[in-house]
Amino acid sequence: MVGLTDYSCYIPRGRLARSTIAAAWGAAPRPGWKAVRGFDEDSLTLGQAAAWPLIQRNGPAGALYFASTSSPYWQRSAASLIAAACDLPPDVATADLGGSLRSAATALRAAFDAVAAGARRHALVVAAESRDPAPESEQEMAFGDAAAAVAVGAEEVIAELAGWAARSDDFLDEWRREADPHVHSLASKFSLRGGYQANVVAVGRKLLEQAALEPAGIAIAALASPDGEAHRAAARALGIPPERLQDPRMNDAGVTGAAMPLLLLAQALDRARAGDWILAIGYGDGAEGFLLRATDRLERMERPRLAPEALAIEVPTYPLYRKLRESLRQRGGGTELSNVLWQREEAENIRLRGTLCPRCGRVQFPRTRVCAGCRNSQGLAEKPLGRRGRVFTFTRDFLYDAPASPNIMAVVDLEGGGRFLCQMTDADPERVEIGMEVELVLRRLRESASMHHYYWKCRPRS
Amino acid sequence: MKDQVTVIGVGCTKFGDNFDQSYEDLVVEAAQAAFADAGIEPERIEAAWLGTFSPHAGHGKASVSLGDALRLYGKPISRVENYCATGTDAFRHAAMAVAAGVYDVVLVVGAEKLKDRSVRGLASDGRHPYRDDGLTAPGMFAMAANRYFHQFGGGREALARVAVKNHHNGSLNPKAHFQMRVTEEQVLKAPLVAWPFGLYDCCPTTDGAAAAILCRADLARQFRADPIRVKGIGLAVTSGRPWYDSAFDYVGFEATRAASRQAYRMAGVADPVKEVDLAEVHDCFTWTEITNYEDLGFCGKGEGMRFIGEGRSALGGDLPVNPSGGLKSFGHPIGASGVRMIYEVATQLRGQAGPRQVPGAELGLVHNLGGPGAVACVVLLGQ
Repeated sequence: MVGLTDYSCYIPRGRLARSTIAAAWGAAPRPGWKAVRGFDEDSLTLGQAAAWPLIQRNGPAGALYFASTSSPYWQRSAASLIAAACDLPPDVATADLGGSLRSAATALRAAFDAVAAGARRHALVVAAESRDPAPESEQEMAFGDAAAAVAVGAEEVIAELAGWAARSDDFLDEWRREADPHVHSLASKFSLRGGYQANVVAVGRKLLEQAALEPAGIAIAALASPDGEAHRAAARALGIPPERLQDPRMNDAGVTGAAMPLLLLAQALDRARAGDWILAIGYGDGAEGFLLRATDRLERMERPRLAPEALAIEVPTYPLYRKLRESLRQRGGGTELSNVLWQREEAENIRLRGTLCPRCGRVQFPRTRVCAGCRNSQGLAEKPLGRRGRVFTFTRDFLYDAPASPNIMAVVDLEGGGRFLCQMTDADPERVEIGMEVELVLRRLRESASMHHYYWKCRPRS
Repeated sequence: MKDQVTVIGVGCTKFGDNFDQSYEDLVVEAAQAAFADAGIEPERIEAAWLGTFSPHAGHGKASVSLGDALRLYGKPISRVENYCATGTDAFRHAAMAVAAGVYDVVLVVGAEKLKDRSVRGLASDGRHPYRDDGLTAPGMFAMAANRYFHQFGGGREALARVAVKNHHNGSLNPKAHFQMRVTEEQVLKAPLVAWPFGLYDCCPTTDGAAAAILCRADLARQFRADPIRVKGIGLAVTSGRPWYDSAFDYVGFEATRAASRQAYRMAGVADPVKEVDLAEVHDCFTWTEITNYEDLGFCGKGEGMRFIGEGRSALGGDLPVNPSGGLKSFGHPIGASGVRMIYEVATQLRGQAGPRQVPGAELGLVHNLGGPGAVACVVLLGQ
């Protein structure tokens, strides 16, 4: 039985009210909020944050597919860096998929195929999106940043794969050329009917036919929506009652692009009951979808349950939102790039491995050849660091030239031993205190040498 | 080594924003002042040590930066670098060479030209590009101060007392970078640098140089009647990345404790708070001075705030600390500071410190601290 074995969502903590955008442009107020990444996040870090809980809960996966239309690199694999940051072994099969909003569904199909063929026992599909909309555009109102991940396997399945269908359609409604900073869109009734609805409905009907299922038999329809509205018409055309639709979260996340199919699927799994049929369809240049059936195991597992963000950070003004989108891009210069250092220290700086002394049991970082506790140098072993901990001490540094001032530096006592020094992010500086619980998160630290530099920060745990 | 080495001459430039002086100008001014103070010609120097932390294009890079400045060629010169304890460590090397009987008369110069930059603050070369990103000098000490207050209570008011005292002392010192006094209110209302430190809790970025001439004790009277004797020296190094050390408590520095134990033992000092008449300690930040009181044994751990609160470290207190104004007011040209402290203590022991004179000073302590509290050097000087 091939299917999903686990799932996870990551929505960044920033929240921007659409009325804030409208006010900046002198436009009529608009309802709702959208999720916006921090200045130090991108689709790679969002994806890593979604993937990590799955690795933590289920152990290493044999494949990791990353889908996004906003990967930070045209050439350089985000999947490989995510795999390293999740400390996956080097024989993991990684792939980057992009080019279409449908890419997450494509990646999921590839994962199902790989597991069904017996090529991999476990595969991870990660989808993340952080698109930069043009200022004063409809996309600026709509686009939100988010990531989701699902684990695929043949055992201990929580939702069984019951059908797959796809359509390819070179329909011209949304695109971004090689050098375009923003998405171009031909949003119109024609685009919605001829592109979105035609493809989604065709794929949906095919899935229902294949399974000989009545539309009313669908318990949850997770239809990715280009605008938060069009999925209703598609459901109506399919004959699926509107209350069965998975809410695309336009009011707190927004249109989350390539991440949306998995984000909606994850939320469907949050509430599905054993035996429920779930229809999940992604749209973009055609459509691709799946029919899944929830198993008993889903009800027995402790579900992640994507709750409203307890530590949401309101982006209070439009200029601050623009700064969050652009500040990192403007921060060049700084330290010289050494790929020698990057490579030699990957186990420490990206995989977060320290050293364990077998004699006194001390966990230490960075890697050491002589134990700091007992000076033993025999049998020291690599040890993955815990990624949660408590703040031992900190400062709010106003001197450091950071996009968000003050910069918080924290010393963290890690679960499982060892101490770590890093910046704190996603936090209200005035509410940081000694003893607070934090988790380590991969973030974009800086730009230099025409490269994004990633390292770990900590943030308050919710 | 006790009493085997003497200081027979000291010199110091005005500390400050010395925009019109080059690194060489600073070195020459300090060294020539020391030659004049000792009453010797440069030819008499047999060996020299140069303390500079942060080399810049064309200066401070190696022994040649001292040799070329003084046109002192063909003699052994070494550059010493040991974080902010660079100056005292250069002095220590010179003292050991004289004590070993290798040389009779040697020169130590500490010099730093921090203001040859078009931007504020210290350069942060040599940091790890990822792990150290976001770390600043005030930030390092601020993390310790926050933990200290978490453990012992108290807060910024105690820090302000140190700033008020050291600014007061600096106002009595024409060579100090700052001559202005500040009130506790001014200190508390100043812009924040790294919580809990505001602007007046931080030493400035300063240009300056200082020099000392050391001589074998049995030859010193050839040069002057009142040589200052080196009574004890200690230097200790702990981890330069203490934030990764699960055992580090952040409420003080073992380097200072170990270095002072070495120096006290050498000098035969049993009860420093009674025996030491004045101390020049490393107050890079106001909190550092408070922990220094404790780590140097002037009071118990956690009692430093009371030590300053009761005025014991003020001029007129039972153990005046930083009568010069300290790094806080005198300034902190990194490699120069330790030698500048030697200069100040020698001036005090000779009774030549003018309005900031500690009456009847016979034993003075110098304490220099480097890195994140990782390198400490303690020197005891007496008559």
